[in-house]
Amino acid sequence: MNAIVALCHFCELHGPRTLFCTEVLHSPLPQGAGNGDSPGQGEQAEEEEGGIQMSSRIRSHSPAEGASAESNSPGPKKSDMCEGCRSLAAGHPGYISHDKETSIKYVSHQHPNHPQLFSIVRQACVRSLSCEVCPGREGPIFFGDEQHGFVFSHTFFIKDSLARGFQRWYSIIAIMMDRIYLINSWPFLLEKIRGIIDELQGKALKVFEAEQYGCPQRAQRMNTAFTPFLHQRNGNAARSLTSLTSDENLWACLHTSFAWLLKACGSRLTEKLLEGAPTEDTLVQMEKLADLEEESEGWDNSEGEEEERTLSVPEVTDGRELAKCPTTPSLLSDCGSWLPRKLSIFKSLRHMRQVLGASSFRMLAWHVLMGNQVIWKGQDMDLVQSAFDVLRTMLPVGCVRIIPYSNQYEEAYRCNFLGLSPHVQIPSYIQTSEFAVIVEVHPATCSSVYPVACDEDQSLSKYEFVVTSGGPIATDRVGPTILNKIEAALTNQNLSVDVVDQCLVCLKEEWMNKVKVLFKFTKVDSRPKEDTQKLLSILGAAEEDNVKLLKFWMTGLSKTYKSHLMSTVRSPTSSESRN
Amino acid sequence: MGSRMDEPGASLGGVTLLCSWSCSEFDLKEIRLIVYQDCERRGRQVLFDSKAVRKMEESAAQRTEDVLIKMPVKCCQARHSSSSSSSDSTPSPHSSVGSLHGKEQLPKYQYTRPASDVNMLGEMMFGSVAMSYKGSTLKIHYIRSPPQLMISKVFSAKMGSFCGSTNNLQDSFEYINQDPNLGKLSSNQNSLGPCRAGSNLAHSTPVDMPSRGQNEDRDSGIARSASLSSLLITPFPSPSSSSSSSSSYQRRWLRSQTTSLENGIVPRWSTEETFSLADETCSSNPAIVRRKKIAISIIFSLSEKEEAQKNFQDFFFSHFPLLESHMNRLKSAIEKAMISCRKIAESSHRVQFYISHLMEALGEFRGTIWNLYSVPRITEPVWLTMMSSTLEKTQLCQRFLKEFTLLIEQINKNQFFAALLTAVLTYHLAWVPTVMPVDHPPIKAFSEKRTSHSVNMLAKTHPYNPLWAQLGDLYGAIGSPVRLTRTVVIGKHKDLVQRILYVLTYFLRCSELQENHLTWAGKLWEGEEVLNGSKMTTALEKGEVEDSEYVVVTVRNEPALVPPGLPSQTGDRNAGPPEGLATADLFSRVSTEANKGAGKKEQDSEASGKASLEEATSGASWEDQEPSPMVEEGQKGASGDDPPTAPSLERSATSEAWAAGLKTVQQAPSEELKMEMDKKPPDRSSGWPCPDRRSQESPYLEKVTFQIGSSVSPESDLESRARDMEEKLKAFRNPPELARSLLDQTRETAELAQHQQFSQVPFRSGIRRNVCCPQILTSEEHKSLSGQGFVEGSDIRINAIEAVEQVSLSAEPAASLDKGAGIGKQRTLEEERGLCLKTVKGQSLEPVQNRCVQQDSGLVVAADVPCGDADGKTAFRVEGDIPRNESSDSALGDSDDEVGAPGNLDPNGDRDEDALEVELPLPRSQIISNQNVKNFGRSLLGGYCPMYMPDLVLHGTSNDEKLKQCLLADLVHAVHHPVLDEPIAEAICIIADTDKWSVQVATSQRKVMDNMKLGQEVLVSSQVSSLLQSILQLYKLRLPADFCIMHLEDRLQEMYLKSKMLSEYLRGHTRVHVKELGVVLGIESNDLPLLTAIASTHSPYVAQILL
Repeated sequence: MNAIVALCHFCELHGPRTLFCTEVLHSPLPQGAGNGDSPGQGEQAEEEEGGIQMSSRIRSHSPAEGASAESNSPGPKKSDMCEGCRSLAAGHPGYISHDKETSIKYVSHQHPNHPQLFSIVRQACVRSLSCEVCPGREGPIFFGDEQHGFVFSHTFFIKDSLARGFQRWYSIIAIMMDRIYLINSWPFLLEKIRGIIDELQGKALKVFEAEQYGCPQRAQRMNTAFTPFLHQRNGNAARSLTSLTSDENLWACLHTSFAWLLKACGSRLTEKLLEGAPTEDTLVQMEKLADLEEESEGWDNSEGEEEERTLSVPEVTDGRELAKCPTTPSLLSDCGSWLPRKLSIFKSLRHMRQVLGASSFRMLAWHVLMGNQVIWKGQDMDLVQSAFDVLRTMLPVGCVRIIPYSNQYEEAYRCNFLGLSPHVQIPSYIQTSEFAVIVEVHPATCSSVYPVACDEDQSLSKYEFVVTSGGPIATDRVGPTILNKIEAALTNQNLSVDVVDQCLVCLKEEWMNKVKVLFKFTKVDSRPKEDTQKLLSILGAAEEDNVKLLKFWMTGLSKTYKSHLMSTVRSPTSSESRN
Repeated sequence: MGSRMDEPGASLGGVTLLCSWSCSEFDLKEIRLIVYQDCERRGRQVLFDSKAVRKMEESAAQRTEDVLIKMPVKCCQARHSSSSSSSDSTPSPHSSVGSLHGKEQLPKYQYTRPASDVNMLGEMMFGSVAMSYKGSTLKIHYIRSPPQLMISKVFSAKMGSFCGSTNNLQDSFEYINQDPNLGKLSSNQNSLGPCRAGSNLAHSTPVDMPSRGQNEDRDSGIARSASLSSLLITPFPSPSSSSSSSSSYQRRWLRSQTTSLENGIVPRWSTEETFSLADETCSSNPAIVRRKKIAISIIFSLSEKEEAQKNFQDFFFSHFPLLESHMNRLKSAIEKAMISCRKIAESSHRVQFYISHLMEALGEFRGTIWNLYSVPRITEPVWLTMMSSTLEKTQLCQRFLKEFTLLIEQINKNQFFAALLTAVLTYHLAWVPTVMPVDHPPIKAFSEKRTSHSVNMLAKTHPYNPLWAQLGDLYGAIGSPVRLTRTVVIGKHKDLVQRILYVLTYFLRCSELQENHLTWAGKLWEGEEVLNGSKMTTALEKGEVEDSEYVVVTVRNEPALVPPGLPSQTGDRNAGPPEGLATADLFSRVSTEANKGAGKKEQDSEASGKASLEEATSGASWEDQEPSPMVEEGQKGASGDDPPTAPSLERSATSEAWAAGLKTVQQAPSEELKMEMDKKPPDRSSGWPCPDRRSQESPYLEKVTFQIGSSVSPESDLESRARDMEEKLKAFRNPPELARSLLDQTRETAELAQHQQFSQVPFRSGIRRNVCCPQILTSEEHKSLSGQGFVEGSDIRINAIEAVEQVSLSAEPAASLDKGAGIGKQRTLEEERGLCLKTVKGQSLEPVQNRCVQQDSGLVVAADVPCGDADGKTAFRVEGDIPRNESSDSALGDSDDEVGAPGNLDPNGDRDEDALEVELPLPRSQIISNQNVKNFGRSLLGGYCPMYMPDLVLHGTSNDEKLKQCLLADLVHAVHHPVLDEPIAEAICIIADTDKWSVQVATSQRKVMDNMKLGQEVLVSSQVSSLLQSILQLYKLRLPADFCIMHLEDRLQEMYLKSKMLSEYLRGHTRVHVKELGVVLGIESNDLPLLTAIASTHSPYVAQILL
């Protein structure tokens, strides 16, 4: 709770006084961003700098006093401080409690060290004991304003056989800036503070009774009626609460009680707040990461991971991470095993489209989206890698299987992105297959082949690209909807690269949501074909190419999602009985 | 709607309505209004007391007022035209002086002598705060008998030069008393006349203010601190970037910072609230401002019946922001009445005008409060219910989807439903954070929504006000600029309106609140029953090693004198140490205490001793304190050979270790551990490498850090966890030694084997208790305590053993040793801790165990010791060198000395810094949560109400009559006096009329165009339409309801992603070329308002561009 709890006393000699005050210190950053210690040190240092009056006085005394303070000799009295106005002995450093779980510290002193808080507490104390009127004088009251904070105050009497009227007046106050919360906590604070007060009063009553028994004050006072009361009072006014309750550990007790009160009141209400489910891409990445970790467990140490990385991307030398993948790069930072670290050659899909030319790019993209095997053949491994990095952004993470560079042909079931060195012989059935597309990277024969590209990028000017496929795409086919939208986005120069990236995220999620429905429908519920056709048209994906795309993308669904659907959703109660 | 519509009505649980609070307990007339003035010159005067107003019977013209007082509810409906908001622009017959005179012929009210308590109430309202303070003050008093709650606001009056009549109200009142029309009032002069502040004090009930002079006020710093706001403006540190993407997180973080007291008070939005007595038409002259305060009090009489009283208090304290808002409205009405009545020349008319206006405003206030209290609520708001109950989720989904699709199918005429949903999604934006994809899900996560971890953490580390957060969510006030939105569904068909309301509660989202009762020291507020004078507590304890739960039954006596947080210090203590002593010591002194009966009643001390024992042994709450005895023992063990300064260090070390142990068991992934162990060679040879540290530490036995805390969710602090981990790993550098020591132990202490059994499961609270208890026993032995303590202790021991058996986690000591020798798996850790615990327990018998403790202690040493500069390694090495075979006797002797003569602790000693606080443990807490809190989420989602209600976030009503009258004023008021405690840019009301099939959005910013239209028609977002259609189709294709809802959430997430894209787009464009987006994403122009609003929750700049 963002509050200060304090015990105040109306001293007969000095008026309202703050006796004991418990504050809450939070770590400056949430989620324990700083470690538990350093903020604390910071606070303390700050407190020391900001220390005023009390604290500085304490400090000036402390080195000299040493043991004497401990052997119960009260610190030197200041004229404005009597026993009754004092809680901790001079030189006492105060109390602190750590709530490790929350990195919250509860600190108690006689006064807050922060000057502004000192004044806030002081003011609340004065108001509580001498300004605000509580019917019956003992009881709860709330007051405050935006400038000085809001105060819940409970005033009470403590029996004292030597005091005027045989009692002394105290209050426990809680100060907050958040009046809504403080007012809402009224019933809670009332109950708890009342409990503390009852304890204190009970203890004091015992002491009182014992003293009365030993030496009945009333009678004595009657007898000494001629003695000026003031005179007598001066002699006895300074009784500390410790002696009134005969509890040496009172302040430690109060510290714990106040700290506890603050903690309990702060956690009295908690919120349950839901956040969105992770996207499929995030889930898949997490899963891949987990698999990776599992594998690397076999390795002795973190070296293992290192080694694996070097295995999968053998020639990587540049330490730079590529953060081209639009979704959650933060997550990916560790999935580096299949991420290149080379400066990208293809900067974006739009760039690649410019380099390859619109029609070649469309053919390539089509194959990519449909899950056909995409083979890049070329001398420059970085270039191939860069191409894959760009192309993969069109697909859900789960649909991407890359073999970045190989010296032999790999089958399509192993990878849908395959990089090959120039001399590798691609089997003829692949060359003629309509389910594969081959991009051959040749050194440029004539420098004017791709003038556009040459202007922008020197490194690409020395190449020319030949995109071929066994089954060339008929130009009249509409193609998958998403391809057309991607092309539209790439064509429109008004949309920045970042916007295009965001578009891709949207499009992919949109289609993955369709995939989910289809998966549920066909794989989980095994619904008949006619229904499926209906479903597809509801999803706006009835065309052949779209259906193909959905089927391919279904392979990219996260295991988490699939197993969830298989187990949880297919409960007997969920699907039937709707009439 | 057809038969299909009618049939499920009865079964529709969510639509059944319920009064949240029983209205019969609440008497409207028991709301009393008092207006007071405190003037420097004239003293205090009652300006109004509703208790003193009597209505005149004779006039027929007063029928309306009659109703006003008796049945404000209806009155408000009928007579709203005289809305009293200062900003009300609708013409009201009473607010213009002209119309007044016609009616004023017959006085309607009679002002009699104010009630006798009014002086005392005046005292309470004003107190004695200096006049100089300019702001407004809020106060709440509880008056015990008769039970009343009084809420007051004190304003400084803003005086202006008066226009027209120079009479002020006071003159008017003085006039009343002589007014023959008003009957025999002359005797009342006193009651209305000035009553000096002090003069009545003596005989006003016990209000015995300490009679401090005016110096006191000046002395107090009240006047001084009024200028505090100019001090120290600390900029907030921004939250860690990882979670800053979530707007709800951001909002809450900011709230916690703005209401924080840590760095002094952060000036918030300024509420320059004065009570204006100046006519706006006249320029006020600041030069002649006199000091004057006006106080307005509302007094609620509470029922004498406890239950009823509690109910109202619940309502009062939980709905305070709403009450306050209405009070502000009342205040505006009073201001207005005071200003305009001055224009009336004739006194009797003026008074009548004034009183009737105030009564009217009060009537409205009463009606509103009554409505708010008694309005029907939707008992099962879909979203909240789905969130909280997991049991019937499927049925809930089915029920909701059934209603949802029904509405899509049947009432989407003119796209009505799509329009309504568009508006709701556009303005009640709290759904957006619930679909924002998280990018850090735990790996095993399942693709559903879950509670936000980061927000949970924030709530723990930086508590904010969850009520406020929830209220903001409900009103959709999470975008930028902040808009506060309500939705009203109008229609004659109650059933249909209720269905719509029900369905909307799925989209109108907010967080769910739960109430937690923290208990400590075994003191439970619930589940406690008295059993033969002792209390038996049953608690389900969560196992900390496993997920299992087991029941712990604690029997203990009535807590005698156990103040909260002070279990170890029970009872009077005569021979206590100076204040500086920590609980660590106090604990062991429990035994001391028993002996020190001298000068005390014997039974007292005994009882207290017992009580503390009880405390010690009962319940998880002790876990924090528990290390202390162990620490003590550790010290005993060490003190023989080590410099006298060492023990304290060890102390802290040990307790640290405890914390670490806990954490380790719970969290440490064993692989990591192992890796660490491999890496780091044993490091036993280093001696005392850091004497500074030692000396610094030594004076403070109390400097023990107990980190166990309340580990409901232990992985709270990632950072410190990591740190703990590290420290702990360091400690594992010498497992062989550890093993050896363990072996020694087992060999040497045969009798300990018995304990071992349970000490191996040290992290269950039940066992912990156990561990703790013998500890006490031993110390008590030394003190030769009465047999009673023994009995107590052993009982508990038995209990604990049983508990262990229940858990059946007993491992053989030998096995544990093997593991301890270095497998380094989690289990090992755990068992090792177990041994250590055992060690601790048997401390007094077996010296070697000390070592073990110390060994253990190295693990985390000093991770959190306040001075924090020495590191864990130091401490570890320290204990690595502690000689092994010490005499236990000496240790005990030392410890006794420690206890007996704590005075030798030098607080300032050689420490580098002297202001290091004494560390005390926080009692370990246990949380009992209560789901059903009467929070805003449950109370502001209304059902089908008899009339329009201004407060509710959602409700239905049969016609828009009253709405038409009040709406604009309500909206303007909402902006001027935001219930949210933060500035509001715009107040919105969505009005869905099922009779006209129209959906309109009214706003505080635009004036009503014509009488027919309340606001602007809503553009139907095509995104929403297509969403509705596809859900309907999927449903018809018989996809299961919960899958449909998952899909619905996916589609909402798509909208969020599109808004992300839009915001990205808007970085480079100041205008949206819809066509460009349409081609790519299917965004149409009618989607833009929706998407922009969504974008405003995550990208504030969007609003700046587009608005």
